[in-house]
Amino acid sequence: MIIRQLSVFLENKIGMFAKIARLLGDNGINMLSFNISETQDFGIARIIVEKEEEDRALSLLKANSYAVSMTPVLLIHCNHVPGAMANILEQLSAAGVSIEYLYAFAGKDSDFSRVVIRPDNLEKANQIAQELQ
Amino acid sequence: MIWNKEMECMSREQMREVQGEKLRKIVAHAYSNSPFYKQRLDEHGVHPSDIKTIDDIVKLPFTVKQDLRDNYPFGLMAVPMSDIIRLHASSGTTGKPIVVGYTRTDLDNWSEAVARCLTAFGLGKNDLVQISYGYGLFTGGLGAHAGVQKIGATVIPTSSGNTQKQMQLMQDFGTTALACTPSYAMYMSDELQKAGITLDRLKLRVGIFGAEPWTEAMRQELQKKLGVKAYDIYGLTEISGPGVGSECECQCGTHIWEDLYYPEIIDPVTLKPVEPGQKGELVFTTLDKWGMPMLRYRTRDLTTLNYEKCDCGRTCVRMGKIMGRSDDMMIVRGVNVFPSQIESILLEFPEYEPYFLIEVDRVNNTDTFDIQVEVKPEFYTDRINELVRIRQRLTSRIQSVIGIQPNIKIVQPNTIERSTGKAKRAIDHRKFE
Repeated sequence: MIIRQLSVFLENKIGMFAKIARLLGDNGINMLSFNISETQDFGIARIIVEKEEEDRALSLLKANSYAVSMTPVLLIHCNHVPGAMANILEQLSAAGVSIEYLYAFAGKDSDFSRVVIRPDNLEKANQIAQELQ
Repeated sequence: MIWNKEMECMSREQMREVQGEKLRKIVAHAYSNSPFYKQRLDEHGVHPSDIKTIDDIVKLPFTVKQDLRDNYPFGLMAVPMSDIIRLHASSGTTGKPIVVGYTRTDLDNWSEAVARCLTAFGLGKNDLVQISYGYGLFTGGLGAHAGVQKIGATVIPTSSGNTQKQMQLMQDFGTTALACTPSYAMYMSDELQKAGITLDRLKLRVGIFGAEPWTEAMRQELQKKLGVKAYDIYGLTEISGPGVGSECECQCGTHIWEDLYYPEIIDPVTLKPVEPGQKGELVFTTLDKWGMPMLRYRTRDLTTLNYEKCDCGRTCVRMGKIMGRSDDMMIVRGVNVFPSQIESILLEFPEYEPYFLIEVDRVNNTDTFDIQVEVKPEFYTDRINELVRIRQRLTSRIQSVIGIQPNIKIVQPNTIERSTGKAKRAIDHRKFE
């Protein structure tokens, strides 16, 4: 399934992500997952919120002068079984799909993990994921 | 269009005669009526009778900004205060402000100079000129104001700040010309875009931009964003204010109204005149300013002069772009750095906003050279490598132009100050005691 991820530029200074978490929290937006990649001076926070809150989170962040963009990413379910992730990744690499980054999160009440994948070829990756599930 | 064809287009020989005649008079006036100048000339061993032609100007001593501070507030006036009808002052970032006083004749000459500038921009009585330079002690607002009145155009005296209202009036009144600093113009163009005000809702056609140095690349950007022809208007408080010179429709140099303000270029180290066309420090002598004459005032602005006749028909000398100020210049790791260089490099990159802040410090006996920049919102993505690549390209470009490697710090949008006056573009934290 293709979902939308919020990608937010952050200066590498103390308390920067706290401000975003507080901003979203105070506005009743729950973060389902996030991941931060960083350099010495700055980083990018990648955040997944509930689907119905995506647009509100985007305009909220923009209104608070954050550099934020929406990125389509692949969301797949991965069972809590040894080798499940390997199966998925092998299928993708066999099809020539390269992964730029990925991160996983568990649902609130489920027995499988959700894996967010940023592939170079989203359409193709999505097709493979659908066949798998 | 030319406001004063006689003065703006006379032959070089005639101009030199006019200048020589005026110089004789103003030096005699300064010597007789200003104790400051009398003492200066006496110390220097020069007497007004030594001044016969304009070439004799090199015999005169220089005047510098510190002289104005030392004689604060009225020590350089050459008329009784009863003849001074206006005071202006420049905000001193260090020490006391400097104060200038004008007689009625001085104000008339100043508005004449501004009228020449505005006419050269193609403005006339059918124009509505929004003056977003600050009104007050700063010469920008009232200086431009008098010139606009003189050519019979309509003044919209908004002064600086309150950008939302400025944009509203600009639409409602159909402002045709905007007068402000280039950095404020850039800020306003961003605000217009944010507010969704497209160019077809505006009647702007001319930008009257000055009070701080700007680059050709910035002109191109302002012209595109505001739908104007953007002209440089040059001036400085000590010499009268805005309008000492301006560009013409050719946009190929800033004509100096040299029957009023005589320019020279000197080597800032040897203080000797440079060869014609060479870069150096600009020096002005006010030839027709009686309240507070300035003899060979060192502006600290670095530029060149071109005496060739312009395609517009004017013979008045053309000044090149200001290539920095000799006192704004920073020496970082032994290399001369001018903020204007950073600005013009940033404008080569579509990814960056034209705002920046240079911070220099000294850590472990080595100069640090940080430059804060903002990436335009549309260039942010989820890919960190792209930002790293954008930053690397800027780092390399600055290093190749200036010769030292900067530490580029990408900061969040809208964190670098958008000044409504003169933008603060460099901070030197080094301590040299």
